[in-house]
Amino acid sequence: MDFPSPLRPAFFMTGPLGMTDIPDLSFMCSWRDALTLPESPLPCSKGGALPPAQDLLWEPALPGPVPLLPPGPDPWDPGLTARDLLFRGANPYRRQPRAVLDITEQLSHFLWDHGDVAFTPLGKLMLENFKLEGNRSRSKKVTVVSVKNLVRDLSGHQPWGCPWAYLTHRQRRFSILGGPVLSRTVSSLLGRLLREELALKWEQLMLDEAFTGGALAWLPGRTVGTGQLVYPTGGALDRLYLHEVSLASAGDPQVLGDPGCIQLRGPVRQVVTSTVQGETLLAVRSDYHCAVWKVGRQGRPAPLQVVQVEKGATGVSLSPHLPGELAVCSRSGAVCLWTPQDGLQQIYKDSDTLVFRDLSPWRWADFTAHPRVLTVGDRTGVKMIDTQAPPGCGLMLFRGGAEASCQKGERVLLVQYLGQTDGGSLPPTLHLVCTQFSLYLVDERLPLVPMMKWDHGLASPPLLARLLPPPGPSCPQPLLLGGQGGQLQLLHITGDGTSPPRLAAHPQSLPSCTDSLSAFPLLEPKSHQQLQERLEAPTIGLSATIPPPCGSTPILSVFQLSAAGDIFYQHLRLQTACSLRDEGPPGSPGPHRLPAGAASHPQDHAPTPSWDAQATAHCSRWMEALLQVPRVPRTWTAPTFSHRHLLGRLELQQSAGKTTERLRAAMAEGRLLRRGDLGPLPAAEPPPAPQPGPQDQLTERLGEAWEGRGAAWWGRQQDKVSGPKKQAKRAKRRTQLSSTFSQSSCIDHPDSPGGPTPSPSEAAPRPPVTPPSQASLSGPWLPRAPLERRQRLRDQVARLPPEDTPKQATVPLSQQTPGLTSSQPPRKKPRMGF
Amino acid sequence: MSDCSEELTRPATEDDDEMETSVVSSAGMHFPWLQNKLETVVTGGKKKKDFAQTTSACLSFIQEALLKHQWQRAAEFMHSYLQILEDLDSHKRQAAPEIIWKLGSEILFYHPKSNVETFNTFADRMKNIGVLNYLKISLQHALYLLHHGMLEDANRNLSQAETWRYGEKSASQEIIMNLVQAYKGLLQYYTWSKKKMELSKLDKNDYAYSTKSRNILNQSWKTSTHIGALIKIPGVWDPFVKSYVEMLEFYGDHDGARKVLTNYAYDAKFPSNPNAHIYLYNFLKREKAPKAKLLSVLKILYEIVPSHQLMLEFHVLLRKSEKEEHRKLGLEVLFGLLDFAGCTKNITAWKYLAKYLKQILIQNHPTWVQEQWNSRKTWWPTFHFSYFWAKCDWKEDTDLACEKAFVAGILLGKGCRYFRYILKQDHQVLRKKIKQMKKSVKKYSIVNLSI
Repeated sequence: MDFPSPLRPAFFMTGPLGMTDIPDLSFMCSWRDALTLPESPLPCSKGGALPPAQDLLWEPALPGPVPLLPPGPDPWDPGLTARDLLFRGANPYRRQPRAVLDITEQLSHFLWDHGDVAFTPLGKLMLENFKLEGNRSRSKKVTVVSVKNLVRDLSGHQPWGCPWAYLTHRQRRFSILGGPVLSRTVSSLLGRLLREELALKWEQLMLDEAFTGGALAWLPGRTVGTGQLVYPTGGALDRLYLHEVSLASAGDPQVLGDPGCIQLRGPVRQVVTSTVQGETLLAVRSDYHCAVWKVGRQGRPAPLQVVQVEKGATGVSLSPHLPGELAVCSRSGAVCLWTPQDGLQQIYKDSDTLVFRDLSPWRWADFTAHPRVLTVGDRTGVKMIDTQAPPGCGLMLFRGGAEASCQKGERVLLVQYLGQTDGGSLPPTLHLVCTQFSLYLVDERLPLVPMMKWDHGLASPPLLARLLPPPGPSCPQPLLLGGQGGQLQLLHITGDGTSPPRLAAHPQSLPSCTDSLSAFPLLEPKSHQQLQERLEAPTIGLSATIPPPCGSTPILSVFQLSAAGDIFYQHLRLQTACSLRDEGPPGSPGPHRLPAGAASHPQDHAPTPSWDAQATAHCSRWMEALLQVPRVPRTWTAPTFSHRHLLGRLELQQSAGKTTERLRAAMAEGRLLRRGDLGPLPAAEPPPAPQPGPQDQLTERLGEAWEGRGAAWWGRQQDKVSGPKKQAKRAKRRTQLSSTFSQSSCIDHPDSPGGPTPSPSEAAPRPPVTPPSQASLSGPWLPRAPLERRQRLRDQVARLPPEDTPKQATVPLSQQTPGLTSSQPPRKKPRMGF
Repeated sequence: MSDCSEELTRPATEDDDEMETSVVSSAGMHFPWLQNKLETVVTGGKKKKDFAQTTSACLSFIQEALLKHQWQRAAEFMHSYLQILEDLDSHKRQAAPEIIWKLGSEILFYHPKSNVETFNTFADRMKNIGVLNYLKISLQHALYLLHHGMLEDANRNLSQAETWRYGEKSASQEIIMNLVQAYKGLLQYYTWSKKKMELSKLDKNDYAYSTKSRNILNQSWKTSTHIGALIKIPGVWDPFVKSYVEMLEFYGDHDGARKVLTNYAYDAKFPSNPNAHIYLYNFLKREKAPKAKLLSVLKILYEIVPSHQLMLEFHVLLRKSEKEEHRKLGLEVLFGLLDFAGCTKNITAWKYLAKYLKQILIQNHPTWVQEQWNSRKTWWPTFHFSYFWAKCDWKEDTDLACEKAFVAGILLGKGCRYFRYILKQDHQVLRKKIKQMKKSVKKYSIVNLSI
């Protein structure tokens, strides 16, 4: 093999990630790669030798990918989102939003839902101090409190975070006294565990490495243009399907017959296929197992072997050189060579990462151009290990650091041996290394110095990559890069034995699944959301093939597997300036390139692809099938809490004793347990209905106000709620409980001290420019302290002699509130701000 | 001006924001997609200002258009994006010129209506906005001109960059300056070699000859200072080293050339670049250096890249060597070369191996073969000598198949499937050869020996 010469100039510095004083020569320009220095010293002959800035574009046939198969019968749940894990709302002093795990909410959910678990031991300890029924009794030794009142106060729906939650003195006292005991035990025991779990979930949300490599594979069939798609399906992704697909026609792929199905006992995370010396193997990685099948001539797989990986498998790869050889790596840091005949042979083990310390247990292994040398990768770098050499030897192939001018916080996400593709001109020594920022091509003969670097800028972790054979002679090879969020990028890589690999044109992005939302018919919001969730499901598999062209333009078929189990496909046609290149002299300097260039950029003017009738019909059929799929019930529903419910449980407790007895008896006799044995059937719990609470009042009031009876309603409400005794106490409470301040509707009641001269008190603190509706709507959301201050100010102003009040201050108010009489304006604000 | 006042009243804690965001992901990894996720959740807090919102939206539109090859659209957005240069946020304002240059040059490189003049104007403007990028942009501008065959303009550009000064030079600027000078040296090399070509056409006794040669001499001086500084810095400098050595050689400074190449190849701070060793070997070969020297260079190359084409030459040198250890290494080199996936169909290598195996076995050194074979006997049979390959090779290249069959016979015995398959084939021309092969396999196969 020849080694490319001369290589592109590059600095080589050693050091940690994000070293800033190294000039980054790559500049991240795609065109810089085209500027290979002229080999021939004669500049005149150089022009012809250099490739022109050709425009190479795979043009999508449709604006987005289309589902290939009808949706499976299993419902799909998008799972946790950032919304579930993070604090909603942010620190107002921060310019950038910040991720803070919302432990309090999770904890409070837990306490609501599983209060029995959290508080039973404590409750048992405090049992003698509480009494469930009857009045409280006093004795000299112990104070026994009746819970009845406490529970009664807790009646009504008081959801978490409700700023208007109504607290009685008794509750407050109880919470102050019991708080340290209750919160300390629960929060100290549970909080730590919860935090760990949430951090884990959050990290998973940021980067789900399980599907690294992809769970979709294309097995070329015996006849050209046909093949099998291998992918997992089912709600748990535990059924492996082999589906025959024909790509012979230029149009849509035809699904042939029913799929072959293999039922597994774990979710499929990665599917790899490889054909070596005419023998096709299929390997599958699950969380703790790896399995390999041999695919026969008829496309039927025969199982060869399954291995168990105790610590969890992170990657499996098939040898491109020797049939039946695999590399498996585990979370423990071990890498094994695996052949079904000889079993596992450990070739590398190191629980530490290669370059610097990183906590991630993710490991990866792949093959190299030498059948006995493997690459071992982790988040920090990639090393080449000779399986026959004594342990401890090896050569770093890629180092996360200044050598590749890595950024701070950059980590390796995917390592792939690009190997030899049929008809490809790239040398078989190239390896692809993807990080969250960039893509590197590294030649194993020149370790540490990337041959090519491209800043992919994908908005999700690039965990999938496929190198395809060139669509035609002397055409660049397409390299497909897929992000977990469904973004696809296509790079055109060219290079041969004598010149380093480079980008032949600017990389392009392919339509993602979310782009095909427009192909579906208009739906009601709920179904629309279901569809959107389905389309936005993470991409967990990527496969592409170039079927034999049935015309002059090659076609690229791309298949995408989503976590919901759907396969989307799209095909793209190669639009190249090659055909138009003849118009102008190739590589001629800019001014001369212009006419040829102008003609060769039709896509700027060409209409963007649009949906055809066939595609939309297909999509709406698919949508109909999707709507038949039952939705997953939400795992969490708002808790309902009322004393009736609680006290009712006490009676249930008594009958529960009988139930257990009957259960035991049934078990002892070994007979079937009937429903009747379990006592009276518990009434099906109704879905949580909105409890009459403050919100309902709001609706009611708004309704009344809409009809112009707002004032009357308010009067009624006042009579109902507030007795004269309470009103007297209000001023005091206001200062005590700032939290309930905004809801204590009495502040501006006519009976309150500031009553007689209300209008100046309103006008003074309020900036006159603020329109009333806005101010009143934003009332409860305003910070509390200013409100309090405002009240104090208002009180002071109220004490002023009435003749000092500026007359015009009343005018805007009376204008603002056309529906109310001028004597009522002070009421308005607190009411709306309720 | 409301923006400005907000900027001023902003508390000073925001600098550690980035650090704190990564606190949640304790591993220290940076997630570029974190910001988007946060924005969907966090609704409160300070909102991005309109200006920041529009500019970031504009930036993403440009990137999207570029990735869809819509150069016209990207250019239109770029036109609006330039307003970021007036951003009140000093961080963003400072980072802006580089982004604009990166995207703008990309657009102008591909845009159908752009030409060199447009690019020149753009580059000249960009050099002076945010002076810190002057050198980088000058360098890329020069490369662009070079790409379009405008050597003189490129040279002028680099000269300007060379004399550029702005405040204290940082370490990285110093390094880029070296690179600028080296590229200038390379341009001088191009003109030099052009003149050299002209010179070779002239009569030696001509007056013009002496003036020209004097000119050339001057240029060489400049070039050596230009390139010399750069190639001392660790890196990959193939084109510079190559041209520099060529010039040194032309003026008879062989020691200087050797020093440059030796340093380039053997300095531990440099990456192990196979080209460095290849250049050194080629130089020594031109210089007719002693064989031992050539062997030592190739031995190092063998350790770095056992799959290189030059290994065949290395093998020939070793085969001819008097020393026994060299001849033993000669066998190892051939085996090593054929280990690689890209070399399996290298007929010369198989030919050499077949011939050399026979020679070694005739000389009665079966242990050498045995030694090499031991580490390969588990996988070479499937890697090289499978039934599949026998069929394939025979179909594609009968010569290759014959050579391989012989090697297979020697190493695996006459029962080997590859050997048997080839033997079965009835070929008019090769019948004699195959018969001979059968004979030698019977005689020399190492399998018989071990029995």
